[in-house]
Amino acid sequence: MMDTPNRSRDAASFLLVRPRWLSLLSVLAAFGAWWGITTFALVPAVLLPSPAEVAAAAVDILRNGYRETTLAENIGSTLWRCGAGFLLAIVTGVPLGLAMGYWPRIRAATNYIVQFMRPLPPLSYVILLIIWIGTDNRSKIALLYITAFPIIASSAMAGVRSVSQQRVQAARALGASQWQVFRYVIWPSAMPLSFTGARIALAAAFSTVVAAELNAATDGLGWMVISASRFLRNDVIILGIILLGILGIALSALVLAIDRRVVHWRGIE
Amino acid sequence: MTEARAITQGRSRLPEWAITGVSVAVLIVAWVVATDGGFVDDLFMPSPSSLWSGFMDLVVDGYKSRTIWEHAGLSLERVLAGFVTGAIAGTVIGLAMGYNRVVEACFSPFVEFLRPLPQLAYLVLLIVWFGIGETAQIILLFLTAFPVSAIAAMDGVKSVSRQRVQVARSLGASDWQIFRFVVFPSALPEIFTGARLAIGVVYATLIAAEIIAGSTGLGWVILDAGRFLRSDYVFVGILAIGLMGLSLDYMLVAIEHRIVHWAGRY
Repeated sequence: MMDTPNRSRDAASFLLVRPRWLSLLSVLAAFGAWWGITTFALVPAVLLPSPAEVAAAAVDILRNGYRETTLAENIGSTLWRCGAGFLLAIVTGVPLGLAMGYWPRIRAATNYIVQFMRPLPPLSYVILLIIWIGTDNRSKIALLYITAFPIIASSAMAGVRSVSQQRVQAARALGASQWQVFRYVIWPSAMPLSFTGARIALAAAFSTVVAAELNAATDGLGWMVISASRFLRNDVIILGIILLGILGIALSALVLAIDRRVVHWRGIE
Repeated sequence: MTEARAITQGRSRLPEWAITGVSVAVLIVAWVVATDGGFVDDLFMPSPSSLWSGFMDLVVDGYKSRTIWEHAGLSLERVLAGFVTGAIAGTVIGLAMGYNRVVEACFSPFVEFLRPLPQLAYLVLLIVWFGIGETAQIILLFLTAFPVSAIAAMDGVKSVSRQRVQVARSLGASDWQIFRFVVFPSALPEIFTGARLAIGVVYATLIAAEIIAGSTGLGWVILDAGRFLRSDYVFVGILAIGLMGLSLDYMLVAIEHRIVHWAGRY
């Protein structure tokens, strides 16, 4: 007798204890609202396609591609540009950042350039890159490189500078060589901040790649979205937005997973 | 690296600011030699003198019927309109998300979806819906600032020490008093950090939006100048964009120092 009110309270608090279900419910509610708006034609169908139409567009593009490019090609070329620019930035930015953190003279000679580049909106030099390099893939990769490079270099520098002096001195006192100090003290201590920088840089490169494809491109997800807008194919636009959102979440989850695996000592020092 | 610094300074007496000065001087000399010496075409890299005359052109005559100040003013208006509305809405929702798990669970899927989404992807949809114009751009900037501010405010509330809340409660504070005098002041430093991040992203997004679908503003100036291969205007535009971005950031830092003077002191 006593537990009847309790049980009903449990049912209500179940949703509170499991926020995941609530999140799912709210996403479903949003889809429901979308479906409702389109089914009852509250806005013109040209402006907002129904979920079914978007799904049909997805199937169609999966099967036939979009304007002679397959979906895989478009996703692939977006990811390739993003990945190439980002990796180039890692390969050059991390060593420069480490050197800038380690040698004050290198920092003095280069830091102002990096700090000037960092807050500049990447798209502002897209025009310059097109004049310099042309409209092909290389100028887009160069743009993403310039986007990611200052972020990565500054965070690697900050990583080295955050290393505790005591540790360096302790290692020295115990007879470690310069290389050993770098390899076993400075490098592991600089890794967490460098990885954080890499995550921010990848996110920045990903949002820049789409912007770059809006301007002068013949493939890529950004191109697909802008091209669809010229033909008022709103179903393709919404499909592209959903794909870009999922891809963005997947990319940041991937880098986070690598981060957790590689820098497993993060936060426990 | 005190040690590394000690070693390098022992070797040479050149102070760091002098090294920076030398490096800047080398760059400028290289620029003058490359451009005035005729090694690089003016199209690729304007010489200092043509950069200066381009700057004077833009200031005195303006670009396509508007002076550079008017273009900068239009960009600034858009940034502020989108940033202020987005940051306020994001902070309010973020505070509620940090305070209440139900609100968090309802809003977090959308915030998490919006955050990594390239802003320009939904610009296209906004243009189809609202046309090329102020409305589409300001909504775009609102949507850009919103998730950044919301996540910062939520993290701020979540990082409030539980002890302080309990102390305030046991001293008889009401819910509103706890929020007003404990939770909000503790979250404010993170809210400001979020605001700085947000204004940076909003600014970059605006320039991109003006380049892709604008007819006024600094971003559009460099796009249009690029079409006519006026690289002196492009360079002046890039410098103006950089300076305006820096001053926006300094402005927020100044406000932050004034309002959150207790940051980092507890």
